[in-house]
Amino acid sequence: MGGRGWERMQTVRLGAAGAASRRREAAELRQVSSQTVRLGRVQPQAPSHRTIYCNDRDANNIARFKGNSISTTKYNVLTFLPKGLFEQFRRVANLYFLMISILSTTPISPVSPVTNVVPLSLVLLVSLVKEAFEDWKRFQNDTAINSTPVDVLQGQRWESISWRKLQVGDIVRVKQDGFFPADLLFLASTNADGVCYIETANLDGETNLKIRKALERTWDYSLPEKAAEFKGEIQCEQPNNSLYTFTGNLIIESQTLPLSPNQILLRGCSLRNTEYVVGAVTFTGHETKVMMNSMSVPSKRSTLERKLDKLILTLFGGLFLMCLIGAIGSGIFINRKYYYLGLFGDVEDQFNPNNRFVVAILTMFTLITLYSTIIPISLYVSIEMIKFIQCTQFINKDLHMYHAESNTPALARTSNLNEELGQVEYIFSDKTGTLTRNLMEFFKCSIGGEAYGTGITEIEKGQAQRTGKKKNEVNRSDTAVHEKGFNFDDSRIMCGAWRNERDPEIFKEFFRCLALCHTVLPEGDESPEKITYQAASPDEAALVTAAKNFGFFFYRRTPTTVMVRESHVEKMGNIQDVSYEILNFLEFNSTRKRQSVVCRYPNGRLVLYCKGADTVIYERLADANQDIKRLTREHLEQFGSAGLRTLCLAYRELTNDLYEKWNEKFIQAKSSLRDREKKLDEVAELIEKSLILIGCTAIEDKLQDGVPACIETLSQAGIKIWVLTGDKMETAINIAYACNLINNDMKQFIITSETDAIREAEEKGDPVEIARIIKDSVIHDLKRCLEEAQQYLHISGQKLALIIDGKCLMYALDPNLRVNLLNLSLNCGSVVCCRVSPLQKAQVTSLVKKGARKITLSIGDGANDVSMIQAAHVGVGISGLEGMQAVMASDFAIAQFRFLTDLLLVHGRWSYTRLCKVITYFFYKNLTFTLTQFWFTFQTGFSGQRFYDDWFQSLYNVIFTALPVIIVGLFDKDVSASLSKKYPELYKEGIRNMFFKWRVLAVWAFFALYHSLIFYYFTTAASQNGHNSSGKIFGLWDVSTMAFTCVVVTVNLRLLMACNSITRWHHLSISGSILAWFVFIFIYSGVMTPYDRQENIFFVIYVLMSTFFFYLMLLLVPIVALLGDFLYLGIQRWFYPYNYQIVQEIHRHELEGTSRTELMEVGNHLTPVEARSYAISQLPREKSKHTGFAFDSPGYESFFASQQGVFAPQKPWDVARRASTRSKRTSQR
Amino acid sequence: MNSSSGSAAGPSSGSGDESAPRRNSKRPKYSKFTQQELPACKPILTPKWVISVFTLVGVIFVPIGIAALMASNSVVEIVDRYDTECIPANMIADKVAYIQNDTINKICTRNLTVPKDMDQPIYVYYQLDNFYQNHRRYVKSRNDAQLKDADKANKTSGCDPEKTTKDGSPIVPCGLIAWSLFNDTYNFTLGNQNLSVNKNGISWKSDRDHKFGKDVYPKNFQNGTLRGGANLDPNKSLNEQENLIVWMRTAALPTFRKLYGKIHQDLKANDTIMVTLENNYNTYSFNGKKKLVLSTSSWLGGKNDFLGIAYVTIGGLCFFLATAFTVVYLVKPRKLGDPSYLSWNRNPLGH
Repeated sequence: MGGRGWERMQTVRLGAAGAASRRREAAELRQVSSQTVRLGRVQPQAPSHRTIYCNDRDANNIARFKGNSISTTKYNVLTFLPKGLFEQFRRVANLYFLMISILSTTPISPVSPVTNVVPLSLVLLVSLVKEAFEDWKRFQNDTAINSTPVDVLQGQRWESISWRKLQVGDIVRVKQDGFFPADLLFLASTNADGVCYIETANLDGETNLKIRKALERTWDYSLPEKAAEFKGEIQCEQPNNSLYTFTGNLIIESQTLPLSPNQILLRGCSLRNTEYVVGAVTFTGHETKVMMNSMSVPSKRSTLERKLDKLILTLFGGLFLMCLIGAIGSGIFINRKYYYLGLFGDVEDQFNPNNRFVVAILTMFTLITLYSTIIPISLYVSIEMIKFIQCTQFINKDLHMYHAESNTPALARTSNLNEELGQVEYIFSDKTGTLTRNLMEFFKCSIGGEAYGTGITEIEKGQAQRTGKKKNEVNRSDTAVHEKGFNFDDSRIMCGAWRNERDPEIFKEFFRCLALCHTVLPEGDESPEKITYQAASPDEAALVTAAKNFGFFFYRRTPTTVMVRESHVEKMGNIQDVSYEILNFLEFNSTRKRQSVVCRYPNGRLVLYCKGADTVIYERLADANQDIKRLTREHLEQFGSAGLRTLCLAYRELTNDLYEKWNEKFIQAKSSLRDREKKLDEVAELIEKSLILIGCTAIEDKLQDGVPACIETLSQAGIKIWVLTGDKMETAINIAYACNLINNDMKQFIITSETDAIREAEEKGDPVEIARIIKDSVIHDLKRCLEEAQQYLHISGQKLALIIDGKCLMYALDPNLRVNLLNLSLNCGSVVCCRVSPLQKAQVTSLVKKGARKITLSIGDGANDVSMIQAAHVGVGISGLEGMQAVMASDFAIAQFRFLTDLLLVHGRWSYTRLCKVITYFFYKNLTFTLTQFWFTFQTGFSGQRFYDDWFQSLYNVIFTALPVIIVGLFDKDVSASLSKKYPELYKEGIRNMFFKWRVLAVWAFFALYHSLIFYYFTTAASQNGHNSSGKIFGLWDVSTMAFTCVVVTVNLRLLMACNSITRWHHLSISGSILAWFVFIFIYSGVMTPYDRQENIFFVIYVLMSTFFFYLMLLLVPIVALLGDFLYLGIQRWFYPYNYQIVQEIHRHELEGTSRTELMEVGNHLTPVEARSYAISQLPREKSKHTGFAFDSPGYESFFASQQGVFAPQKPWDVARRASTRSKRTSQR
Repeated sequence: MNSSSGSAAGPSSGSGDESAPRRNSKRPKYSKFTQQELPACKPILTPKWVISVFTLVGVIFVPIGIAALMASNSVVEIVDRYDTECIPANMIADKVAYIQNDTINKICTRNLTVPKDMDQPIYVYYQLDNFYQNHRRYVKSRNDAQLKDADKANKTSGCDPEKTTKDGSPIVPCGLIAWSLFNDTYNFTLGNQNLSVNKNGISWKSDRDHKFGKDVYPKNFQNGTLRGGANLDPNKSLNEQENLIVWMRTAALPTFRKLYGKIHQDLKANDTIMVTLENNYNTYSFNGKKKLVLSTSSWLGGKNDFLGIAYVTIGGLCFFLATAFTVVYLVKPRKLGDPSYLSWNRNPLGH
């Protein structure tokens, strides 16, 4: 086996990442060198495998395997600076400023290098500090992992050493619940049979335990004394990243034993239900499979940032235009007639009137350095800081997104996408584990035409809330029982009270049907309290649990009998163990949609019990008793519209003759070799008829808390939710109903491969033909649906829903049909895709992402959702329960689906509005500043003379206007969190990108222009002719300092005007910034140092401040500038208010509640839309057609197959779902 | 950002078993900061606010504007453009040749009538037009170290092209600014009485004390082939040469005034002052204008209506806007917080 396996591995690895092969080459090199010091036992190693000598460090030293310490840091002390700087200069803005800085050291530059170097270095410093901090945290994390203790065999004792000191070949002991420190070869365990159980949640997200079995030869090395004698030699493949393969041999005492993945314990897994195991280390540190699998998550950039790039590009365009104008001007201006410019004789090229073209070109460069401030250098770093704090402080620490039960707070894993959360239009959700808890509870039932069960489902509560009716939960009576799988209360039938009902016999049939007709295996102690049921689907377990609670306790199953402990049969307290002989079992499958048992009572009575979907049961009912049928049908519909999964129960009395005849056929069918399945189905049809309806059950597929409400809120917010699930169509539709995604008002389009034509083709089994038929039907269906959809949209305005299954989707995603699919699905309010593979989930996501250019979010919890999570703009993982795979791939992790409301409507919306504000403001302030320079250029003969001092310009972005905008980016809040959720429609502003449109930017640009004109022309016009009573005149630097003061004050105040809420941090930062300017200028112009290049600014501010002129200007210019904005804002708010502004006004008198939930109750008045929908809901209308149908579960067939020892290929997404199989199934077999 | 999933291998990140005791809750601590519930005031720009702000600005601005206008009006200013007048009729065709010819006597007399009473001190300015003192080549053509420190006379960097004389000895003060020093002179007589012009204290004290050295004397100044402007007295230190100091504080715009001197004598309305001036400075090359300005000053400085007009206009505009808004408010009021304004209420389909 070994040899062939290696070959295979090699080809795999050749195809795999280059890194692996490089590593291998390096290993080869080392091995070649090691050959020269060949010692006794060492043999030359073939390059494609490694040889490990267990428990013999000296022998292994020669091969120089890597240590077990891991490092996930990006830098070390030496590489930090070069590598970090390199990373920084990969950003265009930084590179641009580096070039400008270099340019400004040449004489061409009007500014000294300090102007551009200072902001650049500050920006770099901040970025590098952040990088260093993050790397430091990674380093600490690594250190913590590396120094975890593990027991290693040293001599004849276990000694605790840290993980990092572990070496290949060491023998280690791992205790229960401990993590494996490296990839181990499993030698021995405390369990009998050399078995141990591991949990692989960290690797693949599966929570069910997996069994590993050691080679029999090594079973007894579990004690240190014995283990010390172990001298094996492992020959195995080189490290690789394939989690599910392993090839190698263990050579003990010249006996070669083949190894398989079954003997390998991978790093990252943990040991369960086993006291301890002993293993030999095979791969360490970065060579472990989990580490070789750790891929870097592709970093996503937000849409806003991509739009920002366009803005920057536009600014570059603007810069170029300004420079061009200036350059042409300078070429025209320059002239010898200005003799005072000294243009006679030998003049440098830039001012040489003989060559005006060169003058223009050079001035171009001059102006580029002068106007460089138009590109907001600190923008990126500010945004990064804002987002970082938003993530770490706001999202991660939001108490509203903390789930107490699982002790999980929200986690933002990237900080790139905060504002993307505010613009999501499509949510793709997984079902199980995300929308539902995968927990089934017996909730209601209908027996003999009477409905029982007083509970109210979430969806009923939601409906009641919408229609304004208060539906109070009936107080739970004493008889109410709530255990796993059973949440039912009705005093009429609990505690044996059913015997007093009209027809107790039918109750008996009902309960016996529940207790007998199933495939559940009981486990554990045979008492009602302690027993646990192992069932293929949680539905089944719920039904059996229900029977138990009604007094029909199923406690034992033998191959031919089912033991039921019946109490309350005749009178209270009378307990009776009854053994029913199970004669036949007619299995469930997806075509039959029912299952039956034929059983013989101890008294010889022969009964067939059947349960299944209402459609199939009703077809097979006897004609009698129309009343029950009608009533039960009504109940089914009721239950269905309440989001419950229903099953019909029926029975049939059989006579011995009839049964014997049928049984012959059955046995024949069972033993047939061809088409056995089909024949069995046919035989079953013969007996499953003339059934007598008993009633129906209703099981609640327990939704996660608050899911319907959350979905309701999100859809009000204009977000469309698509459910993508591996489940069957019925289940998916059921959940869609339960979550309010689909309701009976909607027109449903169903595109399914479960049609007769397709089924027929599938039975013939010609793949080409199947493909053709499905494709044709998909084309046809799509066309039909599109036509109908257009009609419905135009005529009735009815909402549409699309349900499509995986097979059809496969064809619908064909490039030719894609457009149709997209067209149809975008017009639908909800879309449900069932039976889809993980890949299809990703395809659907990118269909919308790329095809419709909408912003998408995927949410899921399992390994099968990873591709979808990575494909969407934003990936959200549900953390807490099902392992880490989805979370590791996600951008945000939350514990509950309902937290999406907070994540999107509160954090996302705020982040979006804040960042829009930050970006537009940055754009404005830099444009304003640069334009003043531009106006000045016109009056300096286009010479590129700077208006401001170098230091003013260099500190403008990084000191005088830096902090307030960050504060706004953190604290600005248009409406409170509770109002954001109360008015979900506010979110639409983000979807439509209302705050970062070109129109918004144009308004800012206009005001930038206006402000710069005011700043420049007001100060220059007002500063002529002497400005104090001593008749002295201002010079250039006095005027520019005056203008700069006005700029700083106005620009900061402008930000204050843009704020929706003003905290003391706003005050502090804005006044602080203005103050910083004054402090700076007082010091800068007051102190003369020998290092100053020029003393232009000396004393300027004191000169200015000694005049009235200064104060009058300081009052005039900012006010005039801001009046324009004020007027605009006033008119905008008055005549064209944004929605959030109205909401602000509605709630202007409310104090902000400390708790967001307080406000949720406020204001029950209906909006017109709500009133309309209320009125519609009151109208009499056709009865609901939907009834739920419960009885399927993903992985159902494969579960049975595995029970019977047949191998069925497990689809990973099926397996991941089966939480029920967590405990040790094997021990019982 | 945390691109590596390496922590998956760590023992700390396990999904945890239900039975495992949970001593350390990961519940975030409450703080107003992290829950984003910092106390804040939330200004809403209601029509009332708009109207009252405009009114307030109007109320403040108009009086200030009036005061500034009055100040500006109280200033008496005589402006006389003489560059076109002080040129002999025969040279009018070639003004540049006239001004560059040292042999021609440039003395010229002008009679100015005082329009109103002028109280002392009366400031004498010269005003130049189309003179780009703010040109980049011009602005940087000086060396501050040289001006300040006698030991640094050799420091002439940046002074191109007026760094050194032909033989390489440094010029003090170097550079184009000093070289192009204004050199027209004015003498005033009122009737027979000579009006003395005080040329001290015309520069900012800070410039005098800190930028121009007491022991720095002009050297090699105006020694070149081309003469730019005025000569400096080599025996007077730079910090006493106030006309240079004033000139070296470069102007912001191509039209500028510079203080020439002060007359400490009151003038009566209709007095006629005779100005005897030497028209030396070449503005003809670049079509610049030269003006002589006599002006009194107010608390706000010289005659400049700009501030006053700006204040009054803005104030008036504010009043107008306040009224306009009030009218709109009365005619078509918008109810604050009217839910029917919400877009999804205006358009039930919400599209």
